[in-house]
Amino acid sequence: MAMLSRTFGRLTLPGKIVFTAVPLLLVLAAGLTAAVVIVGPVVLTFLGDNVPLVRFVVAATIILLMTVPTAFLIIYMEMKVIALMNLRYGPDRVGPYGSLLSVVHGLKVLMKEDFTPTGADPLVFTWAPIVVYVASVMTLVVVPFAPGLFGLDLNIGLLYFFAMGGLGVVGLLMAGWSSFNKYSLLGGLRAAAQIVSYEIPLTLSVVGIVLLSGTLSVNQITLNQSGSLFDWYVFRQPLAFVIFFIAATAEANRTPFDLTEADSEIVAGFATEYSGMRFGFFFFAEYVNVFIVSGLTVALFMGGWNAPFDWPWPIVAQPDLSGMGIGLLFALALIPPLGILVLGLPFYLVNSQVKLWQALVIGFVLFNLVAVAALVGFAFLSFDWVVGLLWFLTKTYGFVFLFVWMRGTLPRVRIDQLMGFAWKWLLPASLLNLFVTALAILVVDGIR
Amino acid sequence: MSFVPGLGLVRGMALTLRRFFEPKVTNLYPEVPASIPPKFRGRLQLLYDEYGTLKCETCFQCAQACPVECIDMGGVDTKGRYAIHWGPPETYGERREESALRRAGRTVPDPVYEHFHGIDLHAVDEILEGFDHDPKELLGILAAIQAEYGYVPVAALKRVSQSTGAWYAMLYGTATYYDHLAVGAPAAAPGRADEAYLGALDGALSGRGARPDAADDAPAGER
Amino acid sequence: MTTIRVPSTDDPRVMLEEQIGVFEPIPPYPPRTEREAEFYTLGDGELFVNMGPQHPSTHGVLRVVLKLEGERVVDLDPVLGYLHRGVEKLCENADYHHTIAYTDPLEYVSALFNEWAPVMAFEKLMDVEVPRRAEYIRVLSGELNRVASHALFMGWMALDLGGLTPILWSFIERDDIVELLAALTGQRMLFNYFRIGGVNGDLNHEFMSRLGTWMSKATEQIEANQTLLNQNEIFVRRMRGLGTLDRETAFRMCMTGPNIRASGVPLDMRRSHPYSIYPELDFDVPTRQEGDCLARYLVRLDEIKQSLRIIDQCLNEMPDGPIMAKLPRLMRPRPGRAYAAVEGPRGQYATYAISDGTDQPFRMRIHDPSFVHLQAVGLLTPGNLIADTMAIMASLDPIMGGVDK
Repeated sequence: MAMLSRTFGRLTLPGKIVFTAVPLLLVLAAGLTAAVVIVGPVVLTFLGDNVPLVRFVVAATIILLMTVPTAFLIIYMEMKVIALMNLRYGPDRVGPYGSLLSVVHGLKVLMKEDFTPTGADPLVFTWAPIVVYVASVMTLVVVPFAPGLFGLDLNIGLLYFFAMGGLGVVGLLMAGWSSFNKYSLLGGLRAAAQIVSYEIPLTLSVVGIVLLSGTLSVNQITLNQSGSLFDWYVFRQPLAFVIFFIAATAEANRTPFDLTEADSEIVAGFATEYSGMRFGFFFFAEYVNVFIVSGLTVALFMGGWNAPFDWPWPIVAQPDLSGMGIGLLFALALIPPLGILVLGLPFYLVNSQVKLWQALVIGFVLFNLVAVAALVGFAFLSFDWVVGLLWFLTKTYGFVFLFVWMRGTLPRVRIDQLMGFAWKWLLPASLLNLFVTALAILVVDGIR
Repeated sequence: MSFVPGLGLVRGMALTLRRFFEPKVTNLYPEVPASIPPKFRGRLQLLYDEYGTLKCETCFQCAQACPVECIDMGGVDTKGRYAIHWGPPETYGERREESALRRAGRTVPDPVYEHFHGIDLHAVDEILEGFDHDPKELLGILAAIQAEYGYVPVAALKRVSQSTGAWYAMLYGTATYYDHLAVGAPAAAPGRADEAYLGALDGALSGRGARPDAADDAPAGER
Repeated sequence: MTTIRVPSTDDPRVMLEEQIGVFEPIPPYPPRTEREAEFYTLGDGELFVNMGPQHPSTHGVLRVVLKLEGERVVDLDPVLGYLHRGVEKLCENADYHHTIAYTDPLEYVSALFNEWAPVMAFEKLMDVEVPRRAEYIRVLSGELNRVASHALFMGWMALDLGGLTPILWSFIERDDIVELLAALTGQRMLFNYFRIGGVNGDLNHEFMSRLGTWMSKATEQIEANQTLLNQNEIFVRRMRGLGTLDRETAFRMCMTGPNIRASGVPLDMRRSHPYSIYPELDFDVPTRQEGDCLARYLVRLDEIKQSLRIIDQCLNEMPDGPIMAKLPRLMRPRPGRAYAAVEGPRGQYATYAISDGTDQPFRMRIHDPSFVHLQAVGLLTPGNLIADTMAIMASLDPIMGGVDK
């Protein structure tokens, strides 16, 4: 033992690490293998029997992971687009065109002190951002991104969506009440009044679509809109679209209905006392909400992942890779270095300032870009869901741009105007829409 | 406001979209320095003349005139003798060089001035008492001193500065500005009965502008 | 007073009951007046909200204690003095020339008018005739500063109503003008340009060329910027009929400037108490009858156009000659008193100076319109919503630098 310890003591630091880590890893691997061998079949059987559960867990994990880059992208978009509308440049220092600034914001928020004010209710105060975030993220489960690419095809998808959307207001109320701050309290109360009022026209406006399509599943509604451009429900239900869009703006707390965090009136509303990552959760939830609302608008009214027109050129590229035989191996080995050389050498030859290795780095980056583009193009041509996903994201980010654009243009409405607008205009209009739709369906069915 | 509801909103949105594509007005500062008009007064730098020497003569007039004493200044005086410093007293009090103090008009404990102290200043004290040490009556005080001594001794000026709180530089400037006041005594003849001095004083008082010759011997710092 | 439960410092598991009073804006002393006693007594369902001094939209460091019933403001109590610098007292211990540097930062958005009023008062004390070219330059630069101030007002107004973009467009306008004035005066914000008996420097080539460029696009650009506000339904609906101030009340509140002109009183120092070269210039005094926030906004918009007209005329009729009157080095006016008032972008800026024959003013009183206008907030706000408090305050356009002096 003494000899062992003396020998160990003479090792260098990397040596110590390696000689400790390798046996540990070996033991771990052996244990894991044993565990898999013993428990594996049982678990597999259980999972095989409960596929919906597995699907839900996987979908929830993927969606939780997906929201972070989505929020970063939308935050960057908001900063940049509003800046450009303000005749500023906006973020342009961190990363290319400042595109990493929102990531840096996220890191900053993570590193900030996370404190609970004196007098706050610590439990409610801590849970409020989580409730808000989870409630907004969980609605994403029913949004269909592409044919076959959705979390869950609930047959009560729309109902689930509105229920989860309404749950977010509980979190806002919790935050407002527990902060022990009157601005927060006012913000929370405003959030409650506003979101509860706008839930009604929001829900009533889509009842027309439910009547038309005969289902509550968002996936099925999207499927019903396939075909030509004019099968989209925005052309059959224009009034419902307008109502839905306005109510969704209010539901997502966006300008001109961002009363809950009206910075010129009640400082930051329910988020006044929050700092650090708790504030970050509110912040993320807001931008994820924008994405969700845009996505749902697209899924319900703009045809979802359906392309607005058929692909004008016939798809010919279905390369038969297996037909190349051994040539495929040679191609895989030769194409990358050749491509790097071909793309990098012009820089070396044209510009005497560029050294050879720099030219090679440029060539490597360019080749990667070309390869990724080729891969995406291949996937676009080969797989249905890539096309659908691209169309869905294009439309959704179009709506996100619209939200940001509105934020850059419009002032905020007053709370009484907000409530009056919901109850005096949107609610009757949505009822009228529902009535007219029902009547039209009756008449059409009667003619048939 | 238009009659079509929402048209105003749409017009606003169209305007912002147009601005979205317009050239931007932000100055990209570190890359593109701001264009500063030639008359700009806010430069935090000293200007150089066409020969490449500093235009600032370290005369301390700016530091002296600064109402909040925020100007801090260091340099070498015109003869290249002293490294001098001026600034807020609480910050630079211990670093004040005598030349700086002299140029800035504060009283200076300087052996060069010792011979001025031979003057009997009781008369000055009486005059000051008569004017109630009022700094707003400086011209009267100086005139009375002139009448009493026949000239205005530098020591008297210092006493007036100490007693009334008026800046020595202001006193000195005032006293040398008016023709009826003759500042500076001959170092060799501190008494008031010097024939040559009285002759020169007569010349000065009669308006020909001649100054007592001995006044040229005053230290360079006084000029 | 509220009781809260906090963990003990010795043992965090033990919760102690602690009384905290800092969360209520109630002053620590017993009420001094009946009004205070009435205000600081909460009725049923009412709560205090301490708005400011650190609040995004109080235009500086104003503190307003709002008594709310839900969203509705029942009563409010403004607390002033967070920006008090004792400028009047400082002026009494400064030379007449030094005074200008002290009055300059009073109302930092339109500093030239803070210089103009004391300079005019001192000129009256000294019996100085200002050269005509100097008067033209004063009017020219003053009107430029008025446009800058009003342009900024538009942005602030929008920002307090939640619009993000107009404030930045306004700052573009203001920055152009500020650069112009920097070319003329040498400073961007606190110009220190007017002198007793004239101005500090003559017009220069840089200023004239920049002014030409700016004039050619100014009207068009300001009009375009306003599309975002005065055609916007949300904006107009929020502003129309809000905070209506009738003619008589405006008179009794001693209001001046655009705020009283929005209530239908054509009171303008440039016309009613003519000074400088304004009697020779051709311009209108825009008025509105409604007296609400929208009218106050639109009057300022019209004033920008009139100011541009005045600038045009000044440039066309600019005479030659000296820019400073002949003055003694040491400025000692005879004992006496003088009053001078100018029409600034917010109303009447006035100075009342007393001289005792020394080189420093014996007493100097500065009248600032923002202080007067801020009184109206207490009259207009009760009964409206929190959001309207901001809109009303923004439409009255007070600058706390001038209010607290």
